[in-house]
Amino acid sequence: QHGRVKLKSTAQQEEEKRKEREKKLKIYVTARDAVFAKRKNGMLDDEALLLTQQLLSSNPDVATLWNYRREILLHLETIREEVDVQKMYEDELSFLESCLKVNPKSYGSWHHRGWVSARLPRPDWTRELGLCDRCLSLDDRNFHCWDYRRMVVKMSGVPVDQELQFTDRLIGSNFSNYSSWHYRSTLLPLLHPESPDHSHRVCEEQLLKEYELVQNAFFTDPNDQSAWFYYRWLLGRGMYCYVVPPLPCLTVMCPYFPGRSVSWCRDSATDQELFRSELSVEKTSVLQSELQSCNQLLELEPQNKWCLLTIILLMRALDPLGYERETLSHFQTLKEVDPMRGAYYGDLCSKFMIENTILKMEYAEVRVFSLSDKNLTTLCHLDQLLLVTHINLSSNQLLRLPPQFAMLQCLEVLEADNNAIENLEGLYHLPKLEDVSLKNNKLSRLSDLQPLASCPKLTRLDLRRNPVTQLVNIESELAELLPSVTDLLL
Amino acid sequence: VLHVDRRSYYAGNWASFTFNGLLSWIEEYKQAGPSDEAAQEKVEEGEEALALSSLDTSITNVEVFCYARYRGNTDPGEGHLSHPKMSACETEANAHLCCCDYSQLMYSRGSLVDLLIKSNVSRYAEFKNVTRILTYRNGKVEQVPCSRADVFGSKQLTVVEKRMLMKFLTFCLDFEQHPEEYQDFSVHSFWDFLLTKKLTENLRHFILHSIAMVTPDVCTVEGLRATQHFLRCLGRYGNTPFLFPLYGLGEIPQCFCRMCAVFGGIYCLRQSVRCLVLDKESGKCKAVIDSNGQRISCSHFVVEDGYIGLDQRKNVDSRQISRAVLITDRSILPSDSEQQISLVTVPPVEPGSPVVRMVELCSSTMTCMPGTYLVHLTCSSSGSAREDLAPVVSRLFCIPVSPGEESKEEEGSEVPSVLWALYFNMRDTSAVDRSSYDLPSNVHVCTSPDAALGSDHAIKLAEAVFRQLLPEEEFCPPAPNPEDIIYDGEGPQGEGPGFEEADPAEALPSQGEVESAERQEEAEDAGETGDVAKQETVAVAENEPRPASEE
Repeated sequence: QHGRVKLKSTAQQEEEKRKEREKKLKIYVTARDAVFAKRKNGMLDDEALLLTQQLLSSNPDVATLWNYRREILLHLETIREEVDVQKMYEDELSFLESCLKVNPKSYGSWHHRGWVSARLPRPDWTRELGLCDRCLSLDDRNFHCWDYRRMVVKMSGVPVDQELQFTDRLIGSNFSNYSSWHYRSTLLPLLHPESPDHSHRVCEEQLLKEYELVQNAFFTDPNDQSAWFYYRWLLGRGMYCYVVPPLPCLTVMCPYFPGRSVSWCRDSATDQELFRSELSVEKTSVLQSELQSCNQLLELEPQNKWCLLTIILLMRALDPLGYERETLSHFQTLKEVDPMRGAYYGDLCSKFMIENTILKMEYAEVRVFSLSDKNLTTLCHLDQLLLVTHINLSSNQLLRLPPQFAMLQCLEVLEADNNAIENLEGLYHLPKLEDVSLKNNKLSRLSDLQPLASCPKLTRLDLRRNPVTQLVNIESELAELLPSVTDLLL
Repeated sequence: VLHVDRRSYYAGNWASFTFNGLLSWIEEYKQAGPSDEAAQEKVEEGEEALALSSLDTSITNVEVFCYARYRGNTDPGEGHLSHPKMSACETEANAHLCCCDYSQLMYSRGSLVDLLIKSNVSRYAEFKNVTRILTYRNGKVEQVPCSRADVFGSKQLTVVEKRMLMKFLTFCLDFEQHPEEYQDFSVHSFWDFLLTKKLTENLRHFILHSIAMVTPDVCTVEGLRATQHFLRCLGRYGNTPFLFPLYGLGEIPQCFCRMCAVFGGIYCLRQSVRCLVLDKESGKCKAVIDSNGQRISCSHFVVEDGYIGLDQRKNVDSRQISRAVLITDRSILPSDSEQQISLVTVPPVEPGSPVVRMVELCSSTMTCMPGTYLVHLTCSSSGSAREDLAPVVSRLFCIPVSPGEESKEEEGSEVPSVLWALYFNMRDTSAVDRSSYDLPSNVHVCTSPDAALGSDHAIKLAEAVFRQLLPEEEFCPPAPNPEDIIYDGEGPQGEGPGFEEADPAEALPSQGEVESAERQEEAEDAGETGDVAKQETVAVAENEPRPASEE
């Protein structure tokens, strides 16, 4: 056995560890009780500082202890010379540093640091920035540190361009960083405003540089959504402006106040104004070239959902009708590659299809509106359809006619066959509605049909192939509920 | 375990040197130890002596060039180097600051790192991450984008190239899952495979030479596996797949020695084994006779290839590595930071010339003075080291016209100047099989460094030898924590001293058995290692990754 190392057994080690833990706990509990006793007695002295320091260095997440510390510090501040106050708060900062090492995401420590920094007579902001940089190099998504850093930057007045370089650096080391990208979006308008009048926008030249930067990111890793989010923000000002047109007139009888008339107005807006902002020639060419880049990426990554979705949005901004076929096929791919968000894509596609149909209607000035067989899952922009008298929603995947449907005040004929409608909330107080066809839907209870009773002119109702028709006495119940209906098909 | 070494330093051909240490190594390598007849008298009846080679022939073709001017004109050997950077290098050499070794890098995932972590030997060393991978292409040194951040930041690749590269690398990461992508190419070369992958010429160069680091003719699966290994090492400790131990890779064997010594191994430097004593009947080695004529019994004998004489070699394998060590005045690719550790892959500069691997170390690796860079070049030999490597050196560096002449720097010239250069060849015995030695079965031969990156071969061999010696024991089991060791006279509650605080000389338990002369030597050596450890803790104030703590 010579030269052999003798080792403690596992049981011995466990026992030692247990004793060690017990000892620590005892010390901790004693100190905690002492601190609470002192606070109760309103004692704000150095001893209390020392005790809370001991406790907080092993557990920096006790807000009460931080509060007590602040009370003590505020008190000491009043009775000490400025030099000593400076020293006191500097000590506090270095103590906080050790707490942050224990838990770099401690709410209490970061909050206290902000408080101390703000009270420090002569703060050293460079040092604080350095600390933030160190923290962020260990974890570039530590939002506590980001928050604190924002405060430091604000207090010390770091120039905007330096901050932009800072985001360059962080993005360079790891571009999956929402905080850095977002920070850029707040800095760029300050540094490169489009014009003095539009200080919230970024000038064209800088925008092009940003497009390049972010393209590098999503070509490198197209599955990283932080870059895509930033890209959509950059494109945003071209893509998401929604113009509400001013309204000319239409007068109908007011359903809510019988005997009085209300004016309904509707402008003959052109497709240039509806659903998107007017694009300048320059902006159009920028978006065109962005669309090309994305298409290039799509060729390499035909399954990438971020790329597909961005392309759809770009095509909408550029020419919604011209790209309709491609948009539909991209939506189809999206639903296949990302089935978890199938319903979202379905709703978005419905919205775009309705918009397109409205745009086409504007050309033709028709009052007959057909949305049949378009895979619609939801209805929107119903406010644009005030003047429509005939609407066809057949063969879609609608589940309900939403309350907004009641906006169609001129509606006379509704066809909504072959959907999955189980709720008719929106068929409410439609003064001109005469003919409703709801063949092959999911209406199952008599109460589902209740809203129809508020439509005075309803004479024809087709409910064939709905579960509700199977109810006993349905015919008589309906006759009672809807006395105006003369032509009922069950 | 008794470890006897004829040299005055640990680790044989794996060692790292101070600059002065290297100069004396250059002087010493050719001197043979005194031959010895007296050994015969210790051999008893029924035994025969088998002499070991007293001359180490593993190092050949040593050539040294000093391009810094000498201050004293009379005798260059006695003079001082006048180049400011070189003279600093010389004066500080004793302070362990300039060190040259047969530098290899470590893959951050691989048998060596695994072993260091598993055995806790990593506690004796500190590491830095290689910061960038470079390559030499079209007459220029370029950075190889290999990590995600590199690819994103690269200015030389188009966005489409970025995508192609990332796509290919992502595929390589788990290529086994997608056999349909490469199975048609199982008999083709990796290069042919790359050609079908719609990769641009740029990208093919990067992948072949700097990421897979293979020759174009290796088979597809081997190339894919090499790429995969590179990628799996990436990001473990930093943005490249390689680690460099501070003070040089020679630290690593020393760390193992230290661990061995702490747990009872005995080390004797400057003392060699003259001959083996073989039992005529069994043919086994039963004892050795050392340079003092002392006979030491042993049941196994492990020896480096360099000690084996020609008579014991059945066939002569002539494989060699060509090595060059340069001290230069600036980095081969200047960047924002002076402290870059770079691996440079240099494809054949002319058809038929070898692939050269180059490592450039900055001063924070503790291997050279601030303001200078230590450059290692390695390739498989076809001729002498200088013949093999000088063409690369002259392309990448500015070599002053004659030794002693400082280069005439052109204003704004970016090319680093060579201040000092050493060339030598080293025998590569990694491919030599045990059966090609005519030695008793309980004599085990280990090899010197080979040309491959990482030290996989050496680790594998060490484990194989260990299995033969002690088939029942675990290879390099985790060393216990200092606080778990029970020292004599101490109860289980006793607080053992930590390794870092303990004087290593005192921590050797079996010292009492060693003769006094050896003990003195032991203590000296251990003291030396202790100093190194102290310097390390001072030098590495930054938060550099350490394998042990990360695991």
